[in-house]
Amino acid sequence: MRSAARLALAVAVATAASRADAFPAFARKYGMSCSACHVAWPIFNQVGQNFRDNGYQFGLGKDDPITLTPGYIPIALRTTPAYTYTRTTNQFSQQGPTTIQQGGVPLPPGVDILTGGVIAKDLSFLLVVSGFGPDGGASVESGWVRFDNLAGSGWLNVKIGKFELDEPASAHRGVSLLYGYAGYGAHPQGSRVAFDMGENQVGVEIDGHDARSYTRYSLSFTSVNGHEGLSGNAWSAPMVYGHVQQAFDLNNPVVPWIRVGALAGAGWVPTAFKQDADGNDIPGTGSDHKMFSRAGAEVSWFFGYPSTPAFFTVAYIYGNDSGGLIPVDPGGGTIDPYTGAELGGQANSFNSGFVEVDWVPWSEPRYDATPWLFFGRYDTVKFKKGTGDTTGGTIGVRKYLALGPRAAAAIHLEAHYDKVKGVGASADPTVVKDVETTSVLAGVDFDF
Amino acid sequence: MNPFRLLAISAAVSTLAAGLARATPPDPAAAARGQKAFSRYCVSCHGTEGDGRGPTADWIEPKPRVLTSGVFKFRSTPSGTLPTDADLLRTITNGLHTTYMPRWAATSEMERRDLVQYVKSLSTKFKEEEQGKPITIPAAPEMTPQLAQQGKAVWDKMQCAACHGDGGQGNGQSAATLRDDWGYPAPPHDFTRGSLKVGDAPEDLYRAFMTGLSGSPMPSFADSIKPDEAWALVAYVRSLRRGD
Repeated sequence: MRSAARLALAVAVATAASRADAFPAFARKYGMSCSACHVAWPIFNQVGQNFRDNGYQFGLGKDDPITLTPGYIPIALRTTPAYTYTRTTNQFSQQGPTTIQQGGVPLPPGVDILTGGVIAKDLSFLLVVSGFGPDGGASVESGWVRFDNLAGSGWLNVKIGKFELDEPASAHRGVSLLYGYAGYGAHPQGSRVAFDMGENQVGVEIDGHDARSYTRYSLSFTSVNGHEGLSGNAWSAPMVYGHVQQAFDLNNPVVPWIRVGALAGAGWVPTAFKQDADGNDIPGTGSDHKMFSRAGAEVSWFFGYPSTPAFFTVAYIYGNDSGGLIPVDPGGGTIDPYTGAELGGQANSFNSGFVEVDWVPWSEPRYDATPWLFFGRYDTVKFKKGTGDTTGGTIGVRKYLALGPRAAAAIHLEAHYDKVKGVGASADPTVVKDVETTSVLAGVDFDF
Repeated sequence: MNPFRLLAISAAVSTLAAGLARATPPDPAAAARGQKAFSRYCVSCHGTEGDGRGPTADWIEPKPRVLTSGVFKFRSTPSGTLPTDADLLRTITNGLHTTYMPRWAATSEMERRDLVQYVKSLSTKFKEEEQGKPITIPAAPEMTPQLAQQGKAVWDKMQCAACHGDGGQGNGQSAATLRDDWGYPAPPHDFTRGSLKVGDAPEDLYRAFMTGLSGSPMPSFADSIKPDEAWALVAYVRSLRRGD
């Protein structure tokens, strides 16, 4: 079932509009090329990070809508029509384990509609509606209001709504269109926790930074995604998450910039519910909360001149789900297939990480330069016990067709492979099968 | 040849030679790196050639600087001279208030220093002329109402109201007619709304009064008023502020 879910996720990701949070309306507002704020759209450079940290403000008197032409509309659209192929091995069927293959060009390709910016000085917002794919559905992926520069300082800002946690690498501004970071959504075998660090969470974030965003912190109080409204208390499935970063200017053209960071978080998920007449859990009755936790660290650096860098990120994330979050599955879902041991009721943990590089070679000295972007990523997740160990990699290339001060577009080619250990369907119960997934995407990423 | 003409030519050549000798042309390696930063951050306004004709220039006011001209408003150096590297770096780092020139402080210092060298490479003046020496800014006196009152006399003496208006709102009689060196409208600053483009400190005002804003109708007062009068004018102009 788990691999089937993975397949469904892959298809959903490729079918729905790509990722959000790429906002050419800002380029139009200020007349600046996308490349001023992005290593290559959608990945931030230090200027883009600082602009975002300041509440989408440069702070020079041209941020407030009252200073703009009334014709300015802070709306952006992103869509990615693409051919996607996915092959997944060892899937369950009545006829025995089988390989599933799916390929095609989902139409319509899905759209992100983004609006955001500054309502008034030091009051910013973002609303992202995603969907409109073949199923026609759409949902609010992100929506928040932020009170910026409280007490006249960038060190204190408060964001309220549904937002992305401050992560070692943004799951919503990642260049890969196929798969997110494996460690962000990892859970031990049988865990009932739905938390995915890459998904937007609902709650409050307090954050701050220095003038250049070289020193940054964030502290979030949210409900664990997937468990909103389930607990029978004032704040459902509470979670606290923090992240700090410190960047350094090394002032040399080989490794000119480096940033280190650390994160920690803990969430509490209800494990006991009252049931309705059909035996379903009743939202709002959850109790007996059990804890899961995450901790990690990352280092990012530029290799080569900072205007045309190879941008490296290496991240490590440790996760632990307490035993109460892994109930014994009478169907055998919590039996370790390698040892035969029952894992239900026992805490389990994992180590995960990724290495990513995004490289934008120097192209040409033009405002409408159309550079190449080469990217690659290696992901790994290793559990202390049970199934689910994951290794995978993604490589890709983007050739920008436009990256100017109005809109952006890129031809996007990407290939992905991963192997998840022990989760495959097997005709012989004594043989443990892995699931291998191969995916290819070829399309055009439009952002207006 | 007329001996006086020969003398004049000789003097001109000597002056040029002296300027060339003291010129500090851009560092080629840094300028080459700076071109990459310029392409990433600057070309949409300043244009690929630095001529101020990027695609965004058509719709923004004030217009982006024509970097090829070697004429810069915001300097610490006397009127008619080139800015120092530090002047250029300050503008790049801090941006210019109420314009579309953002603050680039978040970029690496190396990029900004390389940008300075690239900007210098866009104008032949930096190869031919010596960069100016920063003016001396005396210690600022206390900005008292009495000093501001003295500054009103300087304001009247220098006929500031002709451009900036009686109340300093930038609505003087000649305001609508003012043009910069490239023929673009150059509205006088509205002192009632706070910060100058280049900064909000008293020293920023003093510097503007005593160096002028090259390329704009704002002249240097260095030959017309003394430092204490300049400080009095600073006090008066700051007293006009009504809020941002």
